[in-house]
Amino acid sequence: MKTPQRIKSIQSRIASSFVMLVLFTALLLIFISYRLSESAVRETAESYTSELINQVNANIQTYITGMKDISLAAMNNPNVREYLASADELEPAQLAVLKAKISDYFHSIRISRKDIASINIFGAGGTFISDRSNAELNPYIEISDQPWYRQAKENQGQTVISSSHVQPVIKGEYRWVVSLSRELSGMDSTQGLGILLIDLNFKVINDMLSKLDLGNRGYVFVIDREGRIVYHPQQQLLYSNLKTERLDQVLQDKHGSFVVKEDGASRIYSIKNTDFGWKIVGVFYENELVDNKKQMQLSFAIAGLLCLVVGVLFSVVLSRNLTRPIKKLQEKMMEVEKGNFDIRVPVGHSREISGLARSFNVMVLKIKELMYQIVVEQEIKRKSELNALQAQINPHFLYNTLDSIIWMAESKKHDEVILMTSALARLFRASLSKGKEMIPIATEVEHITNYLKIQQMRYQDKITFALDIDRGLYPYLTLKVLLQPLVENAIYHGIKNKEGPGTITITGVRRDTRIEFQVKDDGIGMDQSKVETLLTSKEGTRSRNSVGIANVHQRIQLYFGTEYGLSYASVPGSGTSVTLVIPAVHADEWQRVEGDVP
Amino acid sequence: MKSYLRMRYMVLLLIPLLLLGYAVYQWSKEEPGTKKIIVGVKALDENEFWRVLIEGVNTASREFGVDVSVVGPSQEIEVDLQIQLLEEAVKQKPDAIVLAAGDYHRLVPVAESIRKAGIPLIMIDSAVNGDYAQSLIATDNVNAGQKAGKELSSRLPEHAKVAIISFVQGTSTQIEREQGVRSILEQRGGTEIVGTYYSEGKEERAYEITKKLLLERPDLNGIVGLNEPSTVGAGRAIRELGLVGKVKLVGFDSSVKEVKLLEEGVLQSTIVQKPFNIGYLGIKTAVSVIEGDRMPRHIYTDSVIINKDNMYTEENQKLLFPFVEE
Repeated sequence: MKTPQRIKSIQSRIASSFVMLVLFTALLLIFISYRLSESAVRETAESYTSELINQVNANIQTYITGMKDISLAAMNNPNVREYLASADELEPAQLAVLKAKISDYFHSIRISRKDIASINIFGAGGTFISDRSNAELNPYIEISDQPWYRQAKENQGQTVISSSHVQPVIKGEYRWVVSLSRELSGMDSTQGLGILLIDLNFKVINDMLSKLDLGNRGYVFVIDREGRIVYHPQQQLLYSNLKTERLDQVLQDKHGSFVVKEDGASRIYSIKNTDFGWKIVGVFYENELVDNKKQMQLSFAIAGLLCLVVGVLFSVVLSRNLTRPIKKLQEKMMEVEKGNFDIRVPVGHSREISGLARSFNVMVLKIKELMYQIVVEQEIKRKSELNALQAQINPHFLYNTLDSIIWMAESKKHDEVILMTSALARLFRASLSKGKEMIPIATEVEHITNYLKIQQMRYQDKITFALDIDRGLYPYLTLKVLLQPLVENAIYHGIKNKEGPGTITITGVRRDTRIEFQVKDDGIGMDQSKVETLLTSKEGTRSRNSVGIANVHQRIQLYFGTEYGLSYASVPGSGTSVTLVIPAVHADEWQRVEGDVP
Repeated sequence: MKSYLRMRYMVLLLIPLLLLGYAVYQWSKEEPGTKKIIVGVKALDENEFWRVLIEGVNTASREFGVDVSVVGPSQEIEVDLQIQLLEEAVKQKPDAIVLAAGDYHRLVPVAESIRKAGIPLIMIDSAVNGDYAQSLIATDNVNAGQKAGKELSSRLPEHAKVAIISFVQGTSTQIEREQGVRSILEQRGGTEIVGTYYSEGKEERAYEITKKLLLERPDLNGIVGLNEPSTVGAGRAIRELGLVGKVKLVGFDSSVKEVKLLEEGVLQSTIVQKPFNIGYLGIKTAVSVIEGDRMPRHIYTDSVIINKDNMYTEENQKLLFPFVEE
């Protein structure tokens, strides 16, 4: 029994709908905003990285351009040209002077540029000029075997940029450098005069690149056009195969970036090409660049859950608040069910509930009024029944009748005595009617007939009667002793005070669903003010007979409703007519509906 | 029925609260604070080997996001100072200690106290006598010794006499290298190992020992120098006595001095370790151990034979001329 009720409870329905709504909205909002912020952060990170790599590119480019400029300046230096072009022709002393001049010139260039490690010229005949006058060649190294030398020769005057390497050509020096080399040729001939070698101190590039911050694990590496590593922070790990790098992919890439998913982490490679063939590659870990990704996820999750908690609390409180007055109303109703009609429900805040409460209050009040009315009516009924009973055994009437009988017996009018006595006996029998309140019209007719007989005998020629009641009405029901007070009233107030004999006419007809009796006399009549008070008179304020009339009216209305009852029409001096209307209720029908009701 | 309803609300409330709690728990778990690792090296910058190794350590610490501090004496011979530094390190309660033991026996108590303090111990380069470390990352020194043995062997005459110039007696590195060298040369028919001489890791001492040895034993055909100072010292003696090419020298490690000896032809080959990798793997292994992974007891790093012909290849340049030198 509990389960369906639980589901049907408004409170839980409201609560669960709210929770669902909050859950759905919160999840949706969190999802959307998380996605948006994530992509925003990622875009920022990516543009930051690409900016960084552009910067690196620009810096390296500056170094290389600087080297190229120096190479151009050196190549066009008249001393250099003279020395190279005419080394064979000059005296050794002249050569030495020239050499010193060139060396000084190179030296002045080198000290002005920290990034330049050394500037050297290797002449065709094995001559050698360095920026340092005391520099000696490494006797164990064959210059012409060096890659930068061979490449410069091969490229015939074009500048060649080497990868990073150790430069062993100067005795006692093993510097890490990037070499720019180019062949110097005479003005008029294509014959090579020598090789210019400018070494860029690799430390400047190394320092620049190693200091870059691309998250904890991110890094920048540089490869040359053949895919040889110029710079890589984990170069030794690569050579030992402890790490692998996507060199092939970098070399082939045309779009400037690609993503590698490996070991559950995704790395983004951002590639920048340089004019001289190097590729600068920024590698960053996606989860790192969205540095606070985890934090972001968590803060979103926590915000969402807080929303949920608040939502749930809110929905519980709200549903409680909404249903509390309904529950109160229900409790009050249950009290009303138990019979307490003195309940008043406080009118709450919300319009619907206060309306409900107000209606409920009105309803309870009405019920209470109605119940009071029923009690009053029952009381009246009881009293009027008593009055009817009293009317039946009107002691004056009985006394007068018995007096008449005695008088007739003294006058030896036996027949009359018999007649009157038997009429009296039947009158009483009819009025008792086995104690039933509703009696067939036949019985009522018998009753009134006997009553009229007795009255006629008493008043001799003073009264004449005409009884004209449709026999078809006989099986219909009426309240007992309705006609007698009317007739009594007509006799005592209409005809008795009239000079000469009077006539009372009683008719009974059916009109549709109603039965109409009319009691008409040609007595003294009465004025309108008396007519008006006749039906409303209260017990004890008017004469006994008036009470009888009012009682009849009341009884009819109590039993059959207010559309039934008596109506008087009277003209003073020419008589009164009273019409009695009751519903046409057939005896059989009555039995069926009410059972054996008294 | 009322308590039933209340229970429903409790459950409705409980679910998000549980989720919330779980999220917070996950958060606190995921952000455990940076792990601290102390690396104890034999010497901070006495030679390139340690500088390159520390570079590997730094690269790994950056990559794995751990806080690393490197401690060590300035010279390998200062074993007491190393012990003292490590005792202080234990007091700092790091998440792991990575140790290159300066002495095979004397660092045992320190290793023991690290173990007792519940700090994971990872040994690099050289071990101590005993089973204290979760893992040892080192050059396969026996294998390196064998390489040296083979290099020398290929250049020796049929009947040859060979001397071994070792460094500090008692270090595992030295013991294993010698073992490797001997395992090759002793199998070689007609070859005699005249003895092992200890230079204490000092070039000058190695020079003197070798010079004395060469003078005493003119029939000596080959020398193996088991580390850089020993090799350079021996090379100097050979050069000075004009025995270049006559007495073959195979050494270990690298330095500018060794490069010059190689170029001059005094030194035939040198077996170069990969200190960068040792340092890198030391931290990587420590991080794995901290995270609760079981690591292999031994992780061997490679060694490379370098001679005059291959010394300028792209791969070998980085090994032979570590960039930190500048």
